[in-house]
Formats: sequence, C-alpha cells, structure tokens
Amino acid sequence: MFGFLQRRPEHPRMAQFRQIGLFATLRPKELRVIDGLLYERRYLEGEIVFDEGEEGQALYVVLSGKALICKRIDGSLLPIAQILTGSLFGELALLWGLPRSAQVRAGEDCVLAALSRADFETLIETHAAIATKIALQLARDLGQKLNARALALEAHPL
Amino acid sequence: MTLPSNASGPLVWLVTIAVTTLLLVASAHALWLVVPFLLAIILYYLLYPVVRRLVLAGVSRQAAAALVAAGVTLVVVAVMIPLLPWLAAQAVTGEVTLNRYLEGGRVLIDRTLAALEHQFGFLRRMNFHAEMGKMATEFGDTTLQKKVGEALFAAAAWLPSLLLAPFFAFFLLRDGGLFAKLLASEVPNAFFERTIYMFDRVDATARNYFQGLLKLTVVDTVCLTAGLWLVGVPNAPILAAIAAVLQWIPVVGSVIGCVLVVLVAATEFPTNPWMVYATIGVFAFARLLDNFFFIPLTVGRSIRMHPMPTVLMVFIGGAVAGVPGLVLALPLAGVVSAVVGTVAGIVRDPRLRARHAYARSLQQQRIAADVRI
Repeated sequence: MFGFLQRRPEHPRMAQFRQIGLFATLRPKELRVIDGLLYERRYLEGEIVFDEGEEGQALYVVLSGKALICKRIDGSLLPIAQILTGSLFGELALLWGLPRSAQVRAGEDCVLAALSRADFETLIETHAAIATKIALQLARDLGQKLNARALALEAHPL
Repeated sequence: MTLPSNASGPLVWLVTIAVTTLLLVASAHALWLVVPFLLAIILYYLLYPVVRRLVLAGVSRQAAAALVAAGVTLVVVAVMIPLLPWLAAQAVTGEVTLNRYLEGGRVLIDRTLAALEHQFGFLRRMNFHAEMGKMATEFGDTTLQKKVGEALFAAAAWLPSLLLAPFFAFFLLRDGGLFAKLLASEVPNAFFERTIYMFDRVDATARNYFQGLLKLTVVDTVCLTAGLWLVGVPNAPILAAIAAVLQWIPVVGSVIGCVLVVLVAATEFPTNPWMVYATIGVFAFARLLDNFFFIPLTVGRSIRMHPMPTVLMVFIGGAVAGVPGLVLALPLAGVVSAVVGTVAGIVRDPRLRARHAYARSLQQQRIAADVRI
C-alpha cells in the first residue's frame, strides 16, 4: 500500500554516469538533469566521429568502447592517442567553439554521450551549479592533459 | 567562435520559398489544427521563461510545466468568471453595436467625400460624392456585413479546436527537449553535429520571433493607450490592446487596427472630425516608432532572411492561407530557411556524404559478415 514511499531503484545509466569523471561530482538529481540533455550515439569500429578542422558543436564522453585520436603525419593518418571508457574529448569546441584539432574515430564499437554547446550554454543559465561542477571537472581534465603533455615533452624534448 | 557554414544563395532562397509555400498550402487545408498549434507555440514561448525560473529554483521540468499549466488555468478561470456576464451581454447587443459603428464609419466617409467635393471643382463635376457614397453604402450594407457575419461564424466554429492550444502548449513545455532527442536519434552519425546546430537555430528563430512579437505587443499597447488617452478616445486600453494584437498580422494588421479605432472615434464623436484625424495621427506615429525603434529591438533580425524573400513570403502566406497564413509566413519561413540551409550544407559537403557512405558500408559488412561460409 505504501509502495510509493519506497525509494525507486536507480537507473543503470545513472550508475554509469557516476563512473564518468566529468559527472563524478554531480548529485543523483543533477545527474537526471544531465541525462535529459545527453544524446547517445553508437559508432562501429573505424567510423569517424568528427574530422580535423570541422566546426565542433558538442563534447563527447565515452560510455563504452574506445575512441582513437588521429593526426596526419607525413601524409598518412595515424592514431596518436586513445580515449578509454569514462574519458571525454571534443571539449575545446564546447568551451571556445574552436575547430576540431584532430580526427576522432571509433577504435572499437563504442557508445558515446554527446553534450551540445547550445545545451551547455542553456545549462549555465538554468542550472548554474551543475554547469559550474562540469566546468570545474573540464578544467581539471584539461590540466591533466596539459600535465601529461609536459611530462611527455620532458621525456622526449624536441 | 566558428559555426557550421550553412549554405545560402539564390537556390537556397528558392527552395525555402517553395517549401514554405507548400507548407502554407497544406496548412490552409488544416486550419483547425494549424491555428491552435500556432497559438500553442505563442503560449509556449510566453510561459517558457516561467518554467525556466521554476527549473532554476530546483523544480523538475515536468513538475514546473504542470505547476505553470495549473496556475494559468486558475488565472483564466478567475478572469472569466466576472467576465462571462459582460461577454453574454455583449453577444446579445453585438449586432446593434456593430451596426452602430458601421453607421459611424459610413457617416465619416460621407462627410469626408462631401468635404472633398466642396474643395475640388473637378470632383463636383464628376458627381464624386453621390457615386462614391452609393458604392460605400452598397459595400457596407452587403459585402462588409456578410464578411463580418461569416468571420464571426467561422470564429465560433473554431472555438472548440482552439481548446487544443493549451493542451499542445502543456506538452511542448513538458516534453520539448524529448522531441529534439527523438528526432536526433534518427539522424546518421555523420550528420549529427549539423543537426543539433540546426535544432538550436530553429529554436532560436522561433523563440526570438514569438517572444519578440509578445514584447512588441506589450510596447504597442502601452504606446497606443497613451496616445489614444491623450487624444480622448474612450476605452483606450482595450482598443490599444486589440490594435496591438492585430499587428501580429504583418502589413495589413496595423491598418485593420487603425480602421477599427477610427470607426469608434467617428461614432463616439460624430461632429468632431479632428478626433478622427488625431486618431490616425496616433497610429501613424506608433507605426513610425515601431519601424525605427521597437521592431529592431524586439522581432528584429530573428528571421535572418533577406527583406525581399521575407516580404514575398508574407504576400504568399496571405494568398494561400488567409490571415493564419499572414501570421505564420514569417516564422515558418525562418524555420524552413534554417532547415533548408542545413540540408543544403550537408548535400554540398562531399566529406560528410563520404563519411556517411563509409559508415553504411561498415554496417553492411557487419551485417553480411557471416552470410557466406
């Protein structure tokens, strides 16, 4: 009779979101807001997510599988890094609207969650707390990437 | 910031005009659905800021939409209860009132023609007053009364379908984002980012247009109320509000609004022609303010189309779908322009098409992988 008072079981997607660094600091209620904004896309191994130089409209989070960052080196397109489950890419387009700096394609069959720039801008106006938490995580992620790049340069100076 | 280079040019204009015209022709055959949907969109953009405020305060989107719908229903009921007896009385005396104002208009035309004939000799020789007066009387007695009667009957027949407007508006407020997600899920991966950008442009075009229109209505109501009150026209706020809402009909709406108020002024002050001239002056001044200040600040460049196809669309809208076509032509053309621009951008981008073809071939290989042994 009082079943409606029982706490509803959490949707498996919410548990998956909590594992993602970008959304790690969000509360369950805030995750539901984000869930309403994300577009889920499925890519087959080898399929291009976006090309270098393309105008970017969204940030992507890898929900499952793996994506490859590819750059043209000496005329041939080579993978230079891989993006594993839980990691994100395409954040420069979201923050500055810059053209894509590299090509990204699916390294294996993968599921991506896309957050559009328009939705992120709306989020800043409607849910400033959520947008701030995401922006902070984005800043941390960018910091880690910069740090990794600096360490790599130290190990292999130009 | 870089944005997708959406195609534009004469071909895109032509396709936009053709598609908008087809949609307007289709809408002319389903006005019972188009009119409530149009009102629902206006209601949606009117109430959306309130829903957004509630969402900002921590209420879920669904609950916010339900709260706003309940609030609006309560306000409508609270307004309608004291208004119903007055409306019933107006319905009973409606024909008498209409004939009184039409007679006021006829007297105004009669006096103006007599004054013109008195002023210019060639008009007297043409027997201008008698001929034009006869035509005006015939028009007033037959065509105008018949048209007004038909319009009132049509409005009465549409009333039940208008009840769909709040219903549509509620679901737009509650599930607007879901529709976009459902549509995007059908789009191939290669075109996904262009599509979400198009959604944003379509939403921005419609939102800027309708919210701008509502702001323009408020500003026009205030200005016209002030002007008509200064001139001394009775019931200035009501007449100003009606005239401001009529401005939703591009080009002819402001003329109709002006004629209505002039009829009231001519009837209420039959011996004072300056009242009529002053009323026309107020409308002309308000129109100037609209054109130079208010429209650029409100509706402005929300449509993002060249003025030539824009004006053309207004006339096509009126020709194929009447008054709803006039109201619908501009926002529809703006939305169609965004969609056609995006589709043309995809069609003209060989790289995107190649990516889509490659994704399909990958899918095909996967499907057919174990067909042959």
